[in-house]
Amino acid sequence: MDKILTVCPYCGCGCGLYLHVENGSISGVSPSRSHPVNRGSLCIKGWNAHEFVTHPERLRYPLIREDSYLRKVGWDEALGFISSRLKKIKKIHGPDSISIISSAKCTNEENYLMMKFARAVIGTNNIDHCARLCHSSTVGGLATTFGSGAMTNSISEIADAKTLFVIGSNTIEQHPMVAMYIFEAIEKGATLIVADPRKIRLAEFSHIHLRHRCGTDTALLMGIMNSIVAEGLVDIDFVKKRTENFDSFRKILKRYTPDVVEGITGIHADDIRKVARLYAMEKRSMLFYSMGITQHITGVDNVKACANLVMLTGHIGLPSSGLNPLRGQNNVQGACDMGALPDVYSGYQFVKDPIVRRKFKRIWGVNLPEKSGLTMMEMVEKAYKGELKAMYIMGENPLLSNPYSDYTREALQRLELLVVQDIFLNETAQYADVILPAASFAEKDGTFTNTERRIQLIRKATAPVGESKPDWEIICELSSMMGYEMNYRGTYEIMEEVALLTPIYGGILHHRLNTGLGLQWPCPSTDHPGTPYLHRKKFARGLGTFMPVDFIPPDEPPNDEFPMILTTGRIYSRYHTTTMCGRTTVLEREEPEPFIEVNPSDAEKLKIKNRDSVKVTSKRGSIRLNAYITTTVPEGTVFIPFHYSVAPANALTNPALDPEVKIPELKVCAVKVEPL
Amino acid sequence: MKPTELILYKDHLSYWLRQLRKERELIGPLRGEETDIVFKSVENIHDIVLDLPAILPTVKEFLFPQYEPMFKYLMTDEVVDLRDNTKRVIFGVRSCDVTALTLLDKFFLDGYKDPFYEERRNETVLISIVCGRPEPECFCAGLNTGPYLEKGFDVQLTDLGDRFFVQVGSPKGHSAVMRFSFLFRKPYKADYEDQYEVFLSSKATSQKRISLEGARQLILSGKVKDDFWRMISDKCFECGGCVYQCPLCTCFTVTDRVFGDIIERVRLWDACLFKGFTRLAGGILPNEERYLRTKRWFYHKLIYYPDALNGFGCVGCGRCTIACPTKIDMASVITRLKVTAGSEG
Ligand code: SF4
Ligand code: SF4
Ligand code: SF4
Repeated sequence: MDKILTVCPYCGCGCGLYLHVENGSISGVSPSRSHPVNRGSLCIKGWNAHEFVTHPERLRYPLIREDSYLRKVGWDEALGFISSRLKKIKKIHGPDSISIISSAKCTNEENYLMMKFARAVIGTNNIDHCARLCHSSTVGGLATTFGSGAMTNSISEIADAKTLFVIGSNTIEQHPMVAMYIFEAIEKGATLIVADPRKIRLAEFSHIHLRHRCGTDTALLMGIMNSIVAEGLVDIDFVKKRTENFDSFRKILKRYTPDVVEGITGIHADDIRKVARLYAMEKRSMLFYSMGITQHITGVDNVKACANLVMLTGHIGLPSSGLNPLRGQNNVQGACDMGALPDVYSGYQFVKDPIVRRKFKRIWGVNLPEKSGLTMMEMVEKAYKGELKAMYIMGENPLLSNPYSDYTREALQRLELLVVQDIFLNETAQYADVILPAASFAEKDGTFTNTERRIQLIRKATAPVGESKPDWEIICELSSMMGYEMNYRGTYEIMEEVALLTPIYGGILHHRLNTGLGLQWPCPSTDHPGTPYLHRKKFARGLGTFMPVDFIPPDEPPNDEFPMILTTGRIYSRYHTTTMCGRTTVLEREEPEPFIEVNPSDAEKLKIKNRDSVKVTSKRGSIRLNAYITTTVPEGTVFIPFHYSVAPANALTNPALDPEVKIPELKVCAVKVEPL
Repeated sequence: MKPTELILYKDHLSYWLRQLRKERELIGPLRGEETDIVFKSVENIHDIVLDLPAILPTVKEFLFPQYEPMFKYLMTDEVVDLRDNTKRVIFGVRSCDVTALTLLDKFFLDGYKDPFYEERRNETVLISIVCGRPEPECFCAGLNTGPYLEKGFDVQLTDLGDRFFVQVGSPKGHSAVMRFSFLFRKPYKADYEDQYEVFLSSKATSQKRISLEGARQLILSGKVKDDFWRMISDKCFECGGCVYQCPLCTCFTVTDRVFGDIIERVRLWDACLFKGFTRLAGGILPNEERYLRTKRWFYHKLIYYPDALNGFGCVGCGRCTIACPTKIDMASVITRLKVTAGSEG
């Protein structure tokens, strides 16, 4: 029996856990008691993180599609096929006809290599990953305001906060360990404010719950700031010394009086004032947000509004005081840090900056493309139009996670070459020309970066199943086959290269991570202890910038034909497209079937009872599932978790994009619900 | 049988364990990251941690693993038994765990004998160590489930500084010790005095008292209303941690895995706190309301366990206090139970 310390492969909390290995296979899991995040606890997913690893449906061999069937092939044949097809497509249509989707489930090292593969080997900046669908608004919004798009504090600091303002995050279900510290803070007397249209579990413990209309977050935040200014609760000293552009912001802010905002959001003006006081008057106030803020056509504006709020009150740059976007996937922070994005290299260094490009060119030894690449949704659009010819998808399932699935499916089918590299045959892989079997988190080494910027080692516990290989090895082999030598003896060598090129990861080397429980970036040098909270004396970009934002209503308001608002999200026992959870006995059993939450008064109007099956239709598609009648959703709004391929919520969702970062509006679209 | 009492010098510990390791897999408490302690196979005997915190991971997994292949069925109608029959010796077990195992024995072996547990149990020798420094979470002392035991152990060690006071309490323990009798000597008066000293000090430091009997009586008296369970369970994350970590929780489920023409049946830990645990056909969830599940967990430990197995389903190990993210653990809940029931008269 061996016990291998590694990191949970599910959410961004990044809990430390031991995998128990008996006779070469995993026999269990236990939490690390001294881990700074989970302190001896885990959520249901972490406790069951071992079972899918040896599941019979794991992909065990490379496969090539031949007509309608998948032929088992050797690695050489599979990679040879991909390499020659990619080279040909590149030659005929140019490098920008190829795109890469990297993965927030894979390690930093793998994401770094994937972005190197895209840029140095293919010669395109067309690389993106699922952060586009979750926190691209954060990366974009906070880059312009603070200069760094990440949680400013550490999770354990939450316990000492005095006011906690959670907007658009179903924290108990999606970041259980963050919720654990929120409870600890409440126990010590902290005030909890929750803003969410749904009566999420955390709202039961809030001192005040604001149920604003879906998609009115900017207005709500502006209203709160308006009353902070009106009541003289601004941290004037902070605004003067540490920020800029306050005046132009203030001009717009004037319009958002609590009364005006009441009209937009449905929140009583007095409640807005009350929240303003609760949040502004305490010094240790923490603001948390997640998908409820980011997945809108105004995602970036929402994020900027949050940033404005913390600057206005000076609630940033101190322990237990800051702005905290809760990142979803286990390594979505890291995938962004590593530059699996179309406009930046690792460490958010812009591809359009010639000095940066020159630096990467020197180390990588090739000319690099200057123009920013395509975002995820643009790739799909170009593929649909026939302009994009090949897509290489590592560890993602866009068919289920992107909005408007019919469109995505059609786009994937139109590609000349679709390569899917994954641990299971997911929905997207069903359209792939080549499928490459990857090793799971338990079968490889590397690092994940959790939501509090903690870079932690994951360690190989067992040999990869079948002929599957770690993603980084696959990338190296393919790259070498395509004529660009990638030669690393292990993931530690890849990290060494990352450190060389990436200032915020400058001191991150595997041997430093091998003892202790991780380091938090920025960590610029090998003697640097890491940074528990950001923006201490100055912002990453120098001065914080107030960004004027204005309320823009959701792209698709309800109308006569589609009278209800659909909002989507996740549930506790499932994760994203459930390739792993769905193959874990107790997780699968918790919520085996898709459902739609309907408010009792809507149910009455529609004449449906609990568990009746209903048809839900939007402009783009229609699905059937059972109704779950609950006051969790307000009247006029329905909620569907997006996990289920039998009734994919994303068949309905609206692909309208935020103009700046191209995140789709997954949180609001118009639907009709009909009894069956 | 009255335990045989002996002395083992610490200098001879590694020799003894090395001999035992020749016949068995030696499992011991080793350092994980930071202050973590984990039970795993011992490569280097000198890595075994002797200066241990009281709360160690449970050794339940060695007898009843979280993921346990049971048998394989081949399409040729052949069935291959996958029962684990590894001989193990586990060094450094806590008394609470040893007590828990005597109850698990009743659960798994009285009447119908669970062959998987039985095999592992027969092949495992436990060397337990008396806790000298209980942690704030443990409350075994008031329950007589620790920090030292009178019976039920294979071999029990008391740390006397440079030597261990050794008590042998079972035939398995006897064989593990007596075959190396040259390493042990009879205790002298001074040894008994030292042992008594440790006994007193560990008793004095084990201050937390939680009366399971008191809680049982309160529940049976009907004073504890469902509102209490609602209040207790409202923060439950349904993580299963309390169940997984408890040495006396035995929920499991089985699943079949089809690998081409081989079907493997696996037994997995389950938890009654999951709503799917009692899922019925047609999607009916009799315990959909969370409080019903929390209530049942406590009822099982405080009411049904004593009724069926003549002992509480809790040995006061304090592991649920650590595992539970929101402190819905045995000790905290009983404390709240008493306050609530007290205030309602
Ligand atoms: S909270 Fe997140 S990281 Fe921790 S165990 Fe659960 S899913 Fe894993
Ligand atoms: S209920 Fe808690 S304290 Fe009691 S034995 Fe189980 S884990 Fe230990
Ligand atoms: S450990 Fe706590 S939160 Fe988890 S299931 Fe048990 S009582 Fe609930």
